[in-house]
Amino acid sequence: MNGTHDMGAAVPGPAAGAAAAPRRRWTRPAIAGALLWLAGLGVPLVLDQTWVFIAALFAVYAVVALSQDIVLGRAGMFDMGHAVYFGIGAYVTAILNLQFGWPILATWPVAVITATLLGAVLAAPIVRLRGDYLLVATIGFNAIFVLALNNNVGGVTGGGDGLFGVGAPSLFGWGLASQSAMFYLNWLAFAFTLWLIHNLERSHLGRTLHYLKLDQLAAGTLGVNAGRYRVLAFALGAALAGFAGTLFATLMSAVSPGAFVFTESVTLFAIVLVGGQGSIPGVLLGTVLMFVVPQVFRGFAEYRYFVFGIAMMVIMVLRPQGIWPRGKGSAP
Amino acid sequence: MDIFLQQTINGLTVGGIYALIALGYTMVYGVLRLINFAHGDLSVLGAYVGLVVLSSGAGGGTTLLVVLAFVAAVVVVGLAGAALEFTAYRPLRKADRLAAVVSALGASLLIENGIMLIWGPQLRVFPQGLLPSGAWEAAGTRIDLLQVLIIGGSALLMALLYLFVHHTRFGTAMRAAAIDQDAARLMGINVNRVITSVFVIGPALGAIGGLFIGLYYRQVYFTMGWTYGLNAFIAAILGGIGNIPGAMLGGVLLGLVNAYAAGFVSSSWQGAITFALLIAILLVRPTGLLGERVAEKV
Repeated sequence: MNGTHDMGAAVPGPAAGAAAAPRRRWTRPAIAGALLWLAGLGVPLVLDQTWVFIAALFAVYAVVALSQDIVLGRAGMFDMGHAVYFGIGAYVTAILNLQFGWPILATWPVAVITATLLGAVLAAPIVRLRGDYLLVATIGFNAIFVLALNNNVGGVTGGGDGLFGVGAPSLFGWGLASQSAMFYLNWLAFAFTLWLIHNLERSHLGRTLHYLKLDQLAAGTLGVNAGRYRVLAFALGAALAGFAGTLFATLMSAVSPGAFVFTESVTLFAIVLVGGQGSIPGVLLGTVLMFVVPQVFRGFAEYRYFVFGIAMMVIMVLRPQGIWPRGKGSAP
Repeated sequence: MDIFLQQTINGLTVGGIYALIALGYTMVYGVLRLINFAHGDLSVLGAYVGLVVLSSGAGGGTTLLVVLAFVAAVVVVGLAGAALEFTAYRPLRKADRLAAVVSALGASLLIENGIMLIWGPQLRVFPQGLLPSGAWEAAGTRIDLLQVLIIGGSALLMALLYLFVHHTRFGTAMRAAAIDQDAARLMGINVNRVITSVFVIGPALGAIGGLFIGLYYRQVYFTMGWTYGLNAFIAAILGGIGNIPGAMLGGVLLGLVNAYAAGFVSSSWQGAITFALLIAILLVRPTGLLGERVAEKV
């Protein structure tokens, strides 16, 4: 937002490419990313239905992974229960659509607001816990959330089977039910998220979170209210995850507790670290590795997680900072 | 009252098992400040190795067979623990702490799915009648021989570990390394050996816990490591992670809470009660029941 006043502007970063003095909005990686995104628009034109679905799913999971990165990679809080916010978004849309007959688009704001509030409410008491203890508390939230879904709280969640037949969104009476329409919707949401994160990186908030992560004490002496900013980071991450959740519910036209269990949170957590904390290309690369590659190798389902486990260990041992870490000089 | 007593016995049995597994989490955390997410799966590996011996019929008498099963589980899992430390954690000791956490999660996936590839994804049933059946009944409460063995066995192992850590030279070295690795190294302690031994002793105890689970519930499945591992991990946190008596207390407490929740509230909410208790304790006493109240290091 106010990139020209950037403290880091004087430091040329490897990620920013050449040693250009003032930081421009359209850095080389940003341009490359925009071109890749535009190329992605061609997916429904050249590839078959399976791939269109995989690309749409990638977009949804990329949004959740980027939202996890806000909390984990940018604000430095070990959130291992992020699937809760993804799940609440999906369930709010499914419940409002199926049990109360709301149109899909009308459920969007409710889903996002519910996820945001839940993120803030759950985070408020625990943000003062130290790293590992916060991690444990978020695992607890995830477990309780899944139990609540399984036990059919309020008689609206459909229990262990979940809910089926979530409708397709329609805009001005124009249904978006086809696979390609769904893809374009998710691809746009993906672009919106990238734009948001790109701006967050350069904003006051992004900078504050970054320095809070680096040194809480120093940030505190400069007048940063650590607790408030951490809750804010959680709320923002939850809002985006909730948004991804509504997209997920529409794309799959079903929700079930199995999609939001602790293992999913672990996968999201791993995506950020395997890819690279606070790095957009890193997180997207992580998403491809953890969500898209498994879709491609469905035939080897049995060996999938076995190989995954080895890959996670090998990548961390060889590149502890992640595959594509954020550039050293690219501090916001 | 009958239900209460019965659930107390059940809770103590399960609690003993949790405590045994929790010790592995807490010992590793104490020395390395690392949550070893693969520990639950290592424990389950112990149950599977034990099952192989039990179904082989080696050794003649059934009691001897059970003893052999425990020995095999302890040896295999102890070695696996050391191998894990060497390959997955040692190279990351100087790296960002989260890198080791992801490596641990990877190791967990590897072991869990390795078990599935070797022994299959289906539930494996333990053979029956391995131990002489015996039970005592009083006041409408029943305790059988296996429960006595589990409670007694875990108590004995915990006592031995406590004595080892607090009354031997090597135990003193372990405690020193837990407090300050650099200072310990200056005092001539081989910290690497301490860490390796922690990764042998912890998983070995976990393997015994895992085999107890198999014998008690008479079945094992490959994803079991998450369920029991998570409970044992909670037990370690409840007691104060890094603190050995804390893990014991946490395990027994968690076992009892689980049993009472199942007996008096509802078993479908059992997990939620466990986690609610955990979060409540974290908020009131972040370092656990027996954890020291340390000032935040800056």
